[in-house]
Formats: sequence, structure tokens, C-alpha cells
Amino acid sequence: MKLLTKLFTAMVFMIAGAAIADPSGTLRESHDLGFGENSSLDPISKGRVFQMTDKLMDRLVRPGLDGSPSADLAENWSANADATVWTFNIRKGVKFHDGSNLDADDVLYSFTRVLDPDIASPARSAVKMIDSMKKTGSHTVEFTLNTPFADLPLTLMDYRLRILPEGSGDSIASTGIGTGPFKLEKLDFQGTTVLAANEDYWAGAPGVAKIEIIAIPEGQARLQAFMGGQIDILFRITEQQKTMLEGSDRYNVAQIPTGNWRGLIFRTDVEPFNDPRVRKAMRLVADREALVQLVQGGAGNVACDSPVAPNDQYRADISCPQDIEQAKALLAEAGFADGIEVNVHVATLEPTWPTLGIAYQAQAAEAGIRVNVVQTPSDGYWNRIWMKKDVAATRWKERPADQALHEIYLSTAKWNESFYKDVDFDELLASARRELDFEKRKALYVQAQEHLFENAGTLIPYTVSMNIGSSSRVQNFDAAKEEAVRWHLVTVD
Amino acid sequence: MLKMLARRLLLGLITVILVSIIIFSGVEFLPGDACTAFLERDAFGKLLENCRESLGLNTNAFKRYIYWAFGVVKGDLGVAANGLTSIAEIVGDRLKNSLFLAGCSLSIGVPLAIFLGVVTGLWRDRPVDLFFSTSAIFAMTIPEFVSATVLILIFSVWLGWLPGIVVVSASAPVHEFFPEIILPMIVLAMVMTAHILRMVRSSVIDVMTSDYIQMATLKGTPYWHMVLRHVLPNALLPAINVVALTIAWLLGGVVVIEVVFNYPGLGRMMIEAISDRDLPVVQAIALIVATVYVGVNLAADITTMLANPKLRTLHTRSK
Repeated sequence: MKLLTKLFTAMVFMIAGAAIADPSGTLRESHDLGFGENSSLDPISKGRVFQMTDKLMDRLVRPGLDGSPSADLAENWSANADATVWTFNIRKGVKFHDGSNLDADDVLYSFTRVLDPDIASPARSAVKMIDSMKKTGSHTVEFTLNTPFADLPLTLMDYRLRILPEGSGDSIASTGIGTGPFKLEKLDFQGTTVLAANEDYWAGAPGVAKIEIIAIPEGQARLQAFMGGQIDILFRITEQQKTMLEGSDRYNVAQIPTGNWRGLIFRTDVEPFNDPRVRKAMRLVADREALVQLVQGGAGNVACDSPVAPNDQYRADISCPQDIEQAKALLAEAGFADGIEVNVHVATLEPTWPTLGIAYQAQAAEAGIRVNVVQTPSDGYWNRIWMKKDVAATRWKERPADQALHEIYLSTAKWNESFYKDVDFDELLASARRELDFEKRKALYVQAQEHLFENAGTLIPYTVSMNIGSSSRVQNFDAAKEEAVRWHLVTVD
Repeated sequence: MLKMLARRLLLGLITVILVSIIIFSGVEFLPGDACTAFLERDAFGKLLENCRESLGLNTNAFKRYIYWAFGVVKGDLGVAANGLTSIAEIVGDRLKNSLFLAGCSLSIGVPLAIFLGVVTGLWRDRPVDLFFSTSAIFAMTIPEFVSATVLILIFSVWLGWLPGIVVVSASAPVHEFFPEIILPMIVLAMVMTAHILRMVRSSVIDVMTSDYIQMATLKGTPYWHMVLRHVLPNALLPAINVVALTIAWLLGGVVVIEVVFNYPGLGRMMIEAISDRDLPVVQAIALIVATVYVGVNLAADITTMLANPKLRTLHTRSK
């Protein structure tokens, strides 16, 4: 009888073991080698290859599929009464790829690196509100902020704020050691990098055994690789490319709204745009619905000059139809009764800019604004045109509302591309950060966005939607922004 | 003849030096430098300072050129703009890949072109000639990226017979490039064949009307014997120059094919390096391509001289 029980138990375990599937198959993805020789696995360096760091390393907090903060390496968190001190409890039992255990020291080390002025990482601006941090237990970290800030978890979702092993700063660029679902097997930025499944991943072993990340710099070549079955997943498929994939059961294409936007900057520190009436007029002539159709082929959401994403909790509900009459009236009031002439600088760096420029030109003409669309070379655009010329095209990737408003419009922000200096606006943002009640805070952020709609120099006509392609052999793939995809769940046939 | 060779070699060396100076100045005059290209929006303050320090961009251009030139003479091509990767290694890999692609395309293109050139030359104005000559015109005038994309569409997407683009890394051994290299090879061979074919055809026609061919026919030489022993060697002489230029073109000028097929060759690396303002890499590739052009032209001239004794002296033929 005892023998039978033993045999039976053994059988149950064997079957259970088989039911929990082992990682199998290879998933192939591509990256655009945007940083060439300067590519790196250091998540806070400028040349970080996001497609790799995202799978190798984890953050404290990750974006859930609905965009709200969800636990990653931090199991839970809490703030003190005025939201100036935040405590994060770090998950126990998590190991790095090199076998060492994750604890509070690693978290402190990672954040100290981000804030280090000598390393001068671009990610530093995201966490400038952190004044100091200390560990209050082997797995507890306390952040002390220099301003009350109710949304710290949102900020910590930033894709660059990954946790590294203590002391790994010098080698992390080529070793990529983290706690993520995949570990580095073979690194070759210019060719194919291979990641192998981390079977000890804290959220469960991944569904695929290997991920190959192939360097394909050219957008058209990436599409061809996808269509020919050489890669399985392709993000940011353009509308024109999407038509080639329709009607085939070999590919699935999903479209999701994002907060990424393209727009035109009218510098507020030069004539004639230093007059807020002129600025408002320039923005009123835009027929945003039409722009979404013409420039994005319908794949976008109208925005009313607010950089806040459409599904962000602080999004203001503003209506901004085209109003030629009011634009003309404002221009006349400001002394430009017979219109104005502007040079709008665009480049093919962002393929939709020239189209946006031309569509805007046609719309602005109705109010007597004579737009010259000036094509400039893509090479060096960010050094010679952006934040230099009076009117230039710009594009931004999505950010949480607080971060976007601070990085683009705060008087002292280094990327304040329209040179917008408005004390009232700064005060609104500061009050919003301090406000602990959610409804009141939201009201303040909404007020800030409405303020921008009245006074800002940047035309933000729409946010773009992203097309994500996956081949039919890929299963359990979250159709979401890249940084929210749960890679350990993906399986391939 | 030796004197002539020495003179040509010296001129070739001067050409290569001049090319390196011109390209260096050209990239220097472009706005921005390696750090602003890399950092883009973040190119200011401490980050920019650190970057420029570590890459030695604060020394003036003239000094940098001299250091680089001395390094090359000693055989050290230096490191890339990120301060780490050895140029000899990465450029060496790309050179190997470009040579391989060039070799494969030439091995198909040249024999095919010669064969078709002779055929169309001998049967001038017959259907065979009309067909191939017109096809050659099409192959020459249709831009390479169009024919490349059409071929990918047909063979990779619709039929699925061949992979569309190259996903192998630059440092892989050359045999791993099969079967992905087949489509680029075909496109290059098509363009090359078109040019060489027309050259061979016109020189075959020219040779067929010459006196010694008439003599051979009257003498009673069998037709094919005459074609192979008398027509072909003489008709191929002008083609040598075209083949030489084609070889040089294949090694540095096929950027479009390399981009469309994602092939890790020299052309693509040059474009990326210019965009990154990676001066050491740009210089290294410019040096290689210039040397190849000079060398290949020299080889073509020597071959022509060997084949045609009339050209072996410095003096022009007096008549």
C-alpha cells in the first residue's frame, strides 16, 4: 500500500511537471541600432538599447496594461502624511542573473547612479525630486523628497530606472546583469543579440527559451523582414506599411493609442510670437481632426495643445475646433490685420513632419497666415534647428502628465523648447505636486493644461496611435506599449 | 615599362593622400561632431564636456589629422568614435563581407555578361539581340532599390523561397550569408551584366568588321574557332576597364543595396559613420575605397598593356 502511494505521488508530480511547460522556441525581434557604436546595455546611458534592457532588468514599479503603477521589484509602497517620504518594500528571494540576491543596497546603488551629477544621465531629470534615500531594513528603502509629490510611483515607472547589482556600474554596459526574465547569452549590437530564458525569474519561467534581437537600421528592411517571417514582432508600423499586412492571416496588427505627439513650436521669446494673442491665433487655425486624417491616416487622437496622453488620469477634456474668425480677430488686435509670414522648419527625420507642415500651411492660409515650409537636413536637426529657429517641428514620446508638463513647459526646464516662461504656470505645477487629494490635484493639472491652451507657443494637434505587428506564431503577446509588455508570458508555436 | 609602373604607383599614393585630406576636411566642416551626433537633445553641459574629453575632440583638427596619419603609417587604424572598438576589426569584417558579396556577384555577372555580349554581338539585330539588349537597358535604368524591392516581394513575401533581408551579424564567417545573400547577388549581377554586356557587344561588333577577321574567314577558319581565338581576346580588351570600375564600385558604391537588404558591408558603414561624425571610421573606409580604386585601375591598365603590346611604351604611337 505504501509503495502504491509513493508511486501515485510520483506520477502526480511527473504529470504536474509536464503540465508546467518548459520555455521553448525562439522569439525574434529587431532594433534600429539608433546609437551605432555607442550602443550600451546601461539603462541610464544615452545609448541604451531599450529592447534589450527591458528584458534583462526590472524596475521597482512597472506600468500595468491600463497605465497605472503595478508592482515589479517593489511589492508595495506607502507615503507619509504629506507625501514627502516614501517607503518601498522590496520583493524577497529575487536573484540577479549572476546568482547574487536582490536587496535594498542594490536599489540604493542604482538610484544613486541615476542621480550622480558626474554621470550626468539624461534620466536624472525624471527623479530630481528625490533629495536623499536610505535603507531601513534589508529589503526596505525610504526616499525623502524635496517637495511633496503624490505620484512618485508613476515616475518610478520610467523605462530607464532599472535595478542593477551593487557596484556593477563599470561593467553593466556589456554584461547587462539584472533580475529580468531573460539573461544575456550573446551580445552583438550590430548583428544578432541572443537572450536566454531566466528559469529562476521571480514571476515564473518565461514562455520562450530564447529571444533574438536583430539589428536592422532601415525601417523598410524591418518591414520586409517581418513580412518574410525573419522577425516575429514589429512595433511602430506606419499606416502606409500597414496596408501591406492587411488581409493576411500570417500577421496580426493591433493599434493602440499612445501619448507620443508631433507638433510645431512657436518660440515665445521672439517676435511676433512673444504676444500670446499671436500664439493663440497660430494654434486656432489648425483643424486638428483634419490633421489626424491627413497626416496620420486616422491613426491618432486629437489633442488641444496638451502633452498629456489620452488615457492619462490627469488628461484635461478641452474642445478645440478650428476657429479662423477668432484667429483673424486676434491677429488684427495684435497689429497684424493683413496677416503674418512664418517659416516653419521641418525635416524628414520624422517622416510625418513635412506632411504636417504642408497641411498646416493650407489651413493657416485661410486666416491670412503665409507659411513657408522650409525643408532642413535631418542630420544635426536637434543641434541646429530645434530650439534655435523661430518655428520648428518637434516630437515627443509619451510621459506621465507631471513629467511632461515639467520637462517641456517649466521655466527652468532644459528642454523648454518654446522658451515658455510663465510664473503662474510654474506655480500651478508646484501646487499640483503638493496636493494630496486626488480630485483637487487633477483639477490643478487640468487647469495647467487649460492655461497652456490659452497661452502656450507649441501647437500639439494630435497624439499618434501605434501599430504593433506580430506574426501568427506568437501567442500571449500583450498589445501594449513596449515597456508595458510582459515578456515572460509570450509563447511561440 | 617598369618606369611607367613606378610613376603610376607614386601618382596613386598621392591620390590616396589627397582623398584622405579632402574627406577629413569635408566631415570636419559638417556641423556638429561625434558627441553632438550621439547625444542629440542632450548635447550640452557636463555630458557634452565628458564626451568631448573622452574622444579627444578638443584638440584642433589639423593635429588630429596628423596623429591619425602617423597612426596609419604605423599600421594602426585607431579606435572608433566611442573610444573602444578597434577599427581594424570592424572595418575588416565589413571589408570581408563586401569582398564576398563582390566576389559572388562578379562570378555570376562577368561570365554571363561576356557570354551574352558575344551572343548579341554575333547575332546583331536578331530577336536574341533585341531581347537581351532591351533587358539590359531596363536593368540599367531601373534604380537598384526598385528592382531589389520587387525581387524581395516576389521571392520572399509571395513565394517564400528566399529570405528577404540579411540578419546575420557582420562578423559571421562568410558561408553563413547563404541563402540570404542570393537576392542581393542577383540584383548586383543584373546591373553589372547590363553594363558589361553592352560594352562587349559593341566591341564584338567592332572587331567583326576588322581586317584580320575578314582574313580569317577567307582563310577558312571554322566559325567558332575564329570567335574564340580571334574575336574574343580582342573584343574583351575594352571590357577590362569596365570590369575594373565595376569591381571598385562593388566595394564602396553599393550603399543602396546594402541598406535595402540590411547587408553589413562597407558602404552602409560609411554612411552610418558620416551621420555619427565618426571620423576615424570614415577615414579608414575612405582610405580603403580610394586604394581599391587606384589599385584596380592600375591592374586594369597593366592587364591591357600586357594584352596589347602597342601600349607598352610611354610614347604615343608615332604614325
